[in-house]
Amino acid sequence: MGWEEMQVRGYPEFVRTAQSYHGRPIFALFCGDKDAEGRSWCPDCVTAEPVVRKELHNLPDESVFIYCLVGDRAYWKDPNNEFRKNLKLTGVPTLLKYGTPQKLVEEECFKAELVRMLFTED
Amino acid sequence: QAHKEEDNPQKTMEVNGLTPVPDSYDYDLIVIGGGSGGLAAAKEAAKYEKKVMVLDFVTPTPQGSSWGLGGTCVNVGCIPKKLMHQAALLGQALQDSRKFGWQFTEEVKHNWMTMTESVQNYIGSLNWGYRVTLRDTKVTYENAYGEFVGPHTIKATNKKGIEKLYTAERFIIATGERPRYLGIPGDREYCISSDDLFSLPYCPGKTLVVGASYVALECAGFLAGLGLDVTVMVRSILLRGFDQDMANKIGEYMKEHGVNFIREFVPIKVEQVEEGTPGILKVTAKSTTGDQIIEGEYNTVLLAIGRDPCTRKIGLDKVGVTINEKTGKIPVNDEEQTNVPHIYAIGDILQGKLELTPVAIQAGKLLVRRLYAGATTKCDYVNVPTTVFTPLEYGACGYSEETAVEKFGEENIEVYHSHFWPLEWTVPSRDNNKCYAKIICNIQDNERVIGFHVLGPNAGEVTQGFAAAIKCGLTKEQLDSTIGIHPVCAEV
Repeated sequence: MGWEEMQVRGYPEFVRTAQSYHGRPIFALFCGDKDAEGRSWCPDCVTAEPVVRKELHNLPDESVFIYCLVGDRAYWKDPNNEFRKNLKLTGVPTLLKYGTPQKLVEEECFKAELVRMLFTED
Repeated sequence: QAHKEEDNPQKTMEVNGLTPVPDSYDYDLIVIGGGSGGLAAAKEAAKYEKKVMVLDFVTPTPQGSSWGLGGTCVNVGCIPKKLMHQAALLGQALQDSRKFGWQFTEEVKHNWMTMTESVQNYIGSLNWGYRVTLRDTKVTYENAYGEFVGPHTIKATNKKGIEKLYTAERFIIATGERPRYLGIPGDREYCISSDDLFSLPYCPGKTLVVGASYVALECAGFLAGLGLDVTVMVRSILLRGFDQDMANKIGEYMKEHGVNFIREFVPIKVEQVEEGTPGILKVTAKSTTGDQIIEGEYNTVLLAIGRDPCTRKIGLDKVGVTINEKTGKIPVNDEEQTNVPHIYAIGDILQGKLELTPVAIQAGKLLVRRLYAGATTKCDYVNVPTTVFTPLEYGACGYSEETAVEKFGEENIEVYHSHFWPLEWTVPSRDNNKCYAKIICNIQDNERVIGFHVLGPNAGEVTQGFAAAIKCGLTKEQLDSTIGIHPVCAEV
């Protein structure tokens, strides 16, 4: 069985989804919300998303890829938002391997090599 | 046949009678060892757009412990040590806090697993960070055991046993050291070392620490600080190589604060009384001054009797690199070059040099700048400051009192010293005569400060600035004319 993608919005939905896949490798990409035309308020997220998507075929079997929209710009800027407080996120986009200290932040997500390393190496 | 030739270009060429001189090597530089020195050198070389490979491999301990990229300091040395030392200090601070007005009714207990998980999580982020940096700077990293098989060829074996050959113009050996075992029955089966302690998946309980190195005393110190019953078994003196006056003060403080010492004994046997995590071990020890035999039972036995360089099984004999057969250390010239011109060595494995992370990093960076950026600066191994993170911290820079007397003669040095009582210790009624500072001055050279020693809280922070001053040639007069900051320990 290859990998599968789940799309979620907001912290509670993210946590529920991650917990439901407990036991499988979980990778998550956090981006700013998109408007009606599908454009994110976060320009770096716009750059990173296609780079990440292009590497998804490298995900290990049984993995789950959670694409998570964090909220609008105001929510994100709040230093006490749940993503910052509980997941210790410091910026968007963030691409991480859930339950490990392995993550790529902001411009690191633009680099296909790093994304591939996160997906394929221990 | 074609496949075999590809795997063994050196061999084929030798058979043909030609001296192997490949037109181009796979890499400009291969660094064997991804620790403090190795990574610093590799990253620096990448700056000059050299093609660099780092090989890092951790042979698991007898207990099965292993770790990621970054070397001893990051994984099983300085970093977890300082964090656990901090955990112990916080325990002390909690006790002190009551005198400063903080009220909490529950008894304060320590959870080993919570601390260890947090520490390991941080280490994991460092391992990952190094891998990102290496990939980002285009340094090739392989988690494989490197050994020389030819003058310019390394064989790299990964954990699945797959072998690959790589060639390079130059090599830097930065393989570091691993804890030594006693060579007595039961040591590898039942004892742990610092390689295991920082990721131990259960609380060590009642612990016997064998050794009197800074590793032994720092570990014994924080384990006791976390509330565990700790005994240190010492063969002869404490902290060999350090100022003995200071070493004894450290020992006294630890003894007064709950660490048991068994002096002039060495273990001769370790047996398992009960299996478990932890189990119960019985240690039999013999006196070094007579025939007396003693026995004791502990949950954990931690060996910290020294570290041995990882230089015996990396094929140095195949390429003619001389090592000190007795110690395994590699002698190098003042440019970190071994007796083989294109092979260099840095870090803990060097003969006669300090075993410290910042020294390895500095040596690695400067070496690479000399190799690829036309620099000439050599690593300055003189007046390197250091700190021992025992419960009462000890910072030092320069000569110990004994070494100064030996080198300059007792009549030519002057020692100025003072006890001090940190202001923060007054209210909680902590020891008023334990913190101590001394400087050793060379009378014949304007009373230049040649040795600085301080025993007290934040010793490392205090010492760093003085190290810079000593590098600038600090004299007693200049020190006297520097007005102190008040109220801090450093003003003494």
